Amino acid sequence: MSICFPYLNTDWFSLRNPELAARPLISAIAVRGRKVVKAMNSVAAAEGIQVQMPTADAKAIVPGLEIFDDQPGRDLKLLKGIGEWCIRYTPIVALDPPDGLILDISGCTHLWGGEQAYLQEIVNRLALKGYQSNAGIADTIGAAWAVARFGKSSIVEEGKLFDSLLPLDPAALRLDHNILQRLQKLGLNKVRSFIGMPKSVLRRRFGEGLLCKLGQALGQIEEVLMPLQLQQPYMERLPCLEAIKTVKGIEIAIDLLLEKMCHRLREEGKGMRAATLTYYRIDGKVGKVGIGTNSPSNSKVHLFSLFELKISAIAPGLGIELFVLEVSKVEDSILPQEVLWAAKPGLDDQKVVELLDRLTIKVGASIVHRYVPDQHYWPERSIKQSSAIQENSGTEWNATQPRPTQLLSQPQPIEVSVPVPDYPPMLFRYRGITHNIRKADGPERIEREWWMDEGEHRDYYQVEDEDGQRYWIFRSGHYSLTKAQQWFIHGYFA
Amino acid sequence: MGLSMKYTELQVTTNFSFLRGASHPEEMVEQAVAFGYKKIAITDRNTLAGVVRAYAAAKDKDLEIIVGCRLDLLDGPGLLAYPTNQEAYSRLSGLLTLGNLRTEKGKCHLYKSDVYEHSTGIIFIVIPPDSLTETLQLEAGFQHQVKEYKQELGSFLYLAAIRSYQSDDHKRIFRLAQLSKELNVPLVATNDVHYHDPARRELQDVLTCVREKCTINNAGFKLHQNAERHLKTIQEMQRLFRQYPEAIENAAYIANCCQFSLSSLKYNYPEEITTEGRSPQEELTFHTWQGAKERFPEGISKEVAEAIAKELEFIEEMNYAPYFLTVFDIVSYARKNHILCQGRGSAANSTTCYCLGITSVDPTKFELLFERFISSARNEPPDIDVDFEHERREEVMQYIYNKYGRDRAAIVATVTQQHQKGAIRDVGKAMGLSVDTVNRLSASIWEFTNEWFKEERIIEQGLNPEDPLLRKVLQLTGQMIGFPRQLGQHTGGFVITQGKLSDLCPILNARMEDRTNIEWNKDDIDALGFLKIDVLALGMLTCIRKAFDLAKQHYNLDLTLAGVNKTEDPKVYEMICRADTVGVFQIESRAQQSMLPRLKPTCFYDLVIEVAIVRPGPIQGDMVHPYLRRRNGEEEVIYPSKALEAILKRTLGVPLFQEQAMKIAMVAANFSAAEADELRRSMATFKLKGMVTRFQKKLIDGMLANGYEEDFAQRIFKQLEGFGSYGFPESHAASFALLVYVSCWLKCHYPDVFAGALLNSMPMGFYQPAQIVIDAKNHDVVVREVDVNHSKWDNILEEKVGAYHAIRLGFRQIKGLKEEDIELLEKGRISSYKTITQIRDSGVSQSALERLADADAFRSLGMDRRQALWEVTALNDRPIALFEGQPSESALESQVSLPLMRDSEHVVQDYASTSLSLKAHPVSFVREKLKLLHILSTKDTQNTKDGVLVKVAGLVLVRQRPGTAGGVCFITIEDETGFSNLVVFESLFEKYRKEILHSRLLMVEGKLQREGQVVHVIVQRCFDLTKLLRDLTATPNDDLPLLTLSRADERSPFPVENKRTQVRTAVDKEVFPPARNFK
Repeated sequence: MSICFPYLNTDWFSLRNPELAARPLISAIAVRGRKVVKAMNSVAAAEGIQVQMPTADAKAIVPGLEIFDDQPGRDLKLLKGIGEWCIRYTPIVALDPPDGLILDISGCTHLWGGEQAYLQEIVNRLALKGYQSNAGIADTIGAAWAVARFGKSSIVEEGKLFDSLLPLDPAALRLDHNILQRLQKLGLNKVRSFIGMPKSVLRRRFGEGLLCKLGQALGQIEEVLMPLQLQQPYMERLPCLEAIKTVKGIEIAIDLLLEKMCHRLREEGKGMRAATLTYYRIDGKVGKVGIGTNSPSNSKVHLFSLFELKISAIAPGLGIELFVLEVSKVEDSILPQEVLWAAKPGLDDQKVVELLDRLTIKVGASIVHRYVPDQHYWPERSIKQSSAIQENSGTEWNATQPRPTQLLSQPQPIEVSVPVPDYPPMLFRYRGITHNIRKADGPERIEREWWMDEGEHRDYYQVEDEDGQRYWIFRSGHYSLTKAQQWFIHGYFA
Repeated sequence: MGLSMKYTELQVTTNFSFLRGASHPEEMVEQAVAFGYKKIAITDRNTLAGVVRAYAAAKDKDLEIIVGCRLDLLDGPGLLAYPTNQEAYSRLSGLLTLGNLRTEKGKCHLYKSDVYEHSTGIIFIVIPPDSLTETLQLEAGFQHQVKEYKQELGSFLYLAAIRSYQSDDHKRIFRLAQLSKELNVPLVATNDVHYHDPARRELQDVLTCVREKCTINNAGFKLHQNAERHLKTIQEMQRLFRQYPEAIENAAYIANCCQFSLSSLKYNYPEEITTEGRSPQEELTFHTWQGAKERFPEGISKEVAEAIAKELEFIEEMNYAPYFLTVFDIVSYARKNHILCQGRGSAANSTTCYCLGITSVDPTKFELLFERFISSARNEPPDIDVDFEHERREEVMQYIYNKYGRDRAAIVATVTQQHQKGAIRDVGKAMGLSVDTVNRLSASIWEFTNEWFKEERIIEQGLNPEDPLLRKVLQLTGQMIGFPRQLGQHTGGFVITQGKLSDLCPILNARMEDRTNIEWNKDDIDALGFLKIDVLALGMLTCIRKAFDLAKQHYNLDLTLAGVNKTEDPKVYEMICRADTVGVFQIESRAQQSMLPRLKPTCFYDLVIEVAIVRPGPIQGDMVHPYLRRRNGEEEVIYPSKALEAILKRTLGVPLFQEQAMKIAMVAANFSAAEADELRRSMATFKLKGMVTRFQKKLIDGMLANGYEEDFAQRIFKQLEGFGSYGFPESHAASFALLVYVSCWLKCHYPDVFAGALLNSMPMGFYQPAQIVIDAKNHDVVVREVDVNHSKWDNILEEKVGAYHAIRLGFRQIKGLKEEDIELLEKGRISSYKTITQIRDSGVSQSALERLADADAFRSLGMDRRQALWEVTALNDRPIALFEGQPSESALESQVSLPLMRDSEHVVQDYASTSLSLKAHPVSFVREKLKLLHILSTKDTQNTKDGVLVKVAGLVLVRQRPGTAGGVCFITIEDETGFSNLVVFESLFEKYRKEILHSRLLMVEGKLQREGQVVHVIVQRCFDLTKLLRDLTATPNDDLPLLTLSRADERSPFPVENKRTQVRTAVDKEVFPPARNFK
């Protein structure tokens, strides 16, 4: 069986933007600097839009045209997705780019009550999912392809192959554009007008390609399918012979599952960031517990220790008959180099990381943070929380522009005594305490990030008081002889 | 000079350092003047492109521009370089040339060693790194490099100190001061200026994003942390460097040392142009009089002699003789090599140029244009543009390169400016808008007027105009428009010098191979008074030369441009008045054609007016109708004032030419000549929008003060606006009118020759070959189809049939055919070919044979295209080697009968292969069906009365929406009997948009309007009848190759109702080549 999706790309888009489904819609790609139509939906097609038309032209023809950018490879991805879905109808599904699928349906149709019903079922189900399709069934791939796209009826009965091809366009034979053009120029506009010609005549004029395609459609030349491989997700199942009720039993089950999973992860050079253990109880209830890690891990011991903390949350009830471990987030794990004698400091130490994981699981994910520099001059935005413990933000802490060890999340107003123009203050009062400034450096002028907010720039000074304590203070705005300026403290140096 | 005036800013980056500087040189100058600077330097990166702009802007102000440049080196810290005298300047220019020519366009590769070689007389300032190391030291590498610089450059080396309000300013400058003391390299204060005003920081950030290909949100530390790199006041700079007063003094000292100014650049004319030891003036006098004898064989009249004497005197006074001689030399070369050429421009239309053969416009035939040259030459250099045949212009350019050498001749640059679409794209992208939003925005963009984006349009695009981000994008876009984006190559402006060109200006590689150009554009060249010659390409000249050749061959006529133009032929004007002008120069467009019967030209000057009148300037200024009324005596010829009578007399009181509009500004609104020129420039480039408004006020106020009516003043301004981008000066119009006349003369007397030459020069002009052929047939010329036994590559003339020779279409008409194949075919055609195999054996490739079969070129072998193709495709495996010449296997095949082709199918295939068919017009096949629908043929409409409701259908030929027509769309359709002109008003256009843009066969219903001989259909309803054409082929096919769209058709996108841009697109396509801006 051959299925083709005439509006694959736009159907996909309409599914995500249902309000556009009834509007003329096209996807566009850039070809040599200008945008051309890649695909369109049936509404746009009815308005006279054609593939390869420059989008500018298309817009001129249909003023309300909706356009979205095509991503190369999306079609294939979609086909693959639909293909995988189709595996429920037959185990052998093959991609037929750019717009179709081929299903080997030998021995499948009777389950749905015959070919017609089978075909109808698939087409209807696809339509329900939002994808328009045409399908054809025939003894050969070539003929199925032909009737799916060009035929009046969609099923070629056995032995009717030859007859079914006769009234079709030559294009139904999957021929080269060049050959098609030549056929057209010679007035051979239907398969019937040349199918009967001697092979040597055809070969001389159109090459082997035409004969090959003709042979494939008629079943004289074999054509093989490359079935779609289904990628295995990271999942392990453990059915239990006896229902498990005890903690020990659960521990063993988790251990067994992790054993297998970690082995597989190690083989593939991966580590898990998050996993879910699903347990199916005899009474039909299903429960879940989940864990997460700060860095990809495939260490059974460590992962087990994380699950161990969760075991108390598992309610076995009358007993558990099936455990399923699914890893929902997998990342490449860098194989730690086996280093003898050397203990690695800080975050590179596996022990520290594992401790952090345990802490996180125990007290909650919102407690432990790590900060990394972010590429912003504006102090409040110059740091950010890292998402993973080993994250490398790509930015170094700037050594020549020192920033305070403790940065106040809100700058606090201070009173100052300051000479103009842009000298540092002589003293400042903060929380009732007066600090006489002995040494100072600055100003460092930091402007607002104008695309985010508006306001005055800041002139920062690093100052040291008589006690040798250093502060980061700033004046908001340019110095002024006439207007009093507000000063703030924004941080403490050690 | 007081102490407070000491500081001079020495480091100024303008927007000619592309994507770095965020202010125009003019803005820098203005700000510097406002701050009381007496001198500033301009130091763009590895270029001098911005210096001239600043120099020109500062010319009449109390500010001197120090020429300078920032050298970015590949193996050392950057250096600012300031030549102290002219020799040093030449060395700097040579240095940049060296770096430019080493690499591809847009880059400049320089090394330290290059700098040392060219360093004499140049003061250098070394630029320190932005920050200190972790240990608060200057980088060791930098210190080391400065030491080396010091050894090489000695006392000419300085060290820059920049207060950029980083946290380490004090430490950094302290270290620099230490280094300065240690190496004895004096410290100089600069502010590394990138914009004239701190508010431009936002734009500068955006430029950085464009340069670094990132968005503002992820640019991070690629941006600067504050807005301190603006031009600061002298007092502020002195305050910032109060601890280092010597740094301020050194800046002043350097400024004082740089005594070189661009005004001292002396342009020298090349010497090669004189012979026999004559001075240029003597040489020019000699050639002029000699030429005069040839031009006026019947004797030089007293009038002419006087004119020549007067002109030569003036040329001597202005010292322009070398200029005329240079042009003369190039033109002589072209004449010697039979390349047709024609000069235009104010200086070209002089008796001298006529005698020298530069132009063929006989100046005695109408009022002398030289007077106008004299008046314009007082304030700008002479200007002669020479058009050459477009197919052979390259020969002329290479001649110039060879004669003067690449180091002395180069093409002028054109500065590509950032236009609104590009600007919004760049800004939008940098601001992180999605591609989709950017597209919507750019679709909604109006034009750069004061209210250059309209809220309605933005809302229409589904965007919120109140959105602050959007507002910011639009605001920045407004600032960015007009920024120079890259240096391109001028279409043909040459600069030729006596000495090395690189002494005057850096030379760089052009994108095209074998071309070099200089960094300055024509305005810069003008400002410095350099000689420039425009070597341009014109398709019509190619056509005329080919026509002259054909006339020689078949009619034994020796034609020349001047010869044809000698007499005024009434028959030619009759033809023009009938608007029978398909294919001729300029007046062939639909707009021109509809004007012709109304204007009824009867003499050469009428043609000059005709050429100039159908243009945005006069149309926008609403000058066309008054002129027509006055000409037809329907309106009294009155002049707004006595003073204007002198200016407007020739055009019946209506300003039509660009010089007139400018003169009016001078006479009626008291503009100085320089101001009038500035006004024109400010309109041609819309970069300084403030200026346009300022001039508008000045012009209108000035005219009102002098007692003119406001209405008239407004119209003059509007017209100037239109002229700004596409003006037409009278002298250019005169030169074009000559070509108009010559092409009309050819068409009138020798339509066979004309059509043949035109087809051989394609693509050019307004019409497709199909229309040219139909037109030729209408003039009783027999046209024959392409045939392997009769045709050549070019279209040729065969024996006479009736009054004219028959045209045999050439192989060039067939799409995708290569000339080499045809050479083989012609070579092998000793006697007529009898079989296709013979042609194959002569070496013609298989694909070429297929193309020939597609074109139905085997008729003389007794085969139609289908049979021929059947045979050709079988030749793939013809016998080779030993068996060569034996009958192909296909000859032994059992005969296969192919479906017969209908005539209509043949016609469709003809169109597919050659874009025309001699067999029939596609519409003729559906005529029966059209008749059933009561649709008239276009011929019938010609005989229908005014005001009758008609239905007419045809293939769409042209669709145009000129911006000057208020949204009206003009369509021309064609059927087997002729053309029909349709007018669609704006509201209807919106309604029938799809039909109009999509139909091949368009049927309209509307009212017939008759105005004299001109017949229009005012459309009321449109129908797409393309479906009728489906049945022309055996398989119903919607995608028929029946495209006859003219090259002037505005293929969509039909732009939004943007008046100004439309003016451009429409005119751009109508004229070939694009109209020259007036100078």
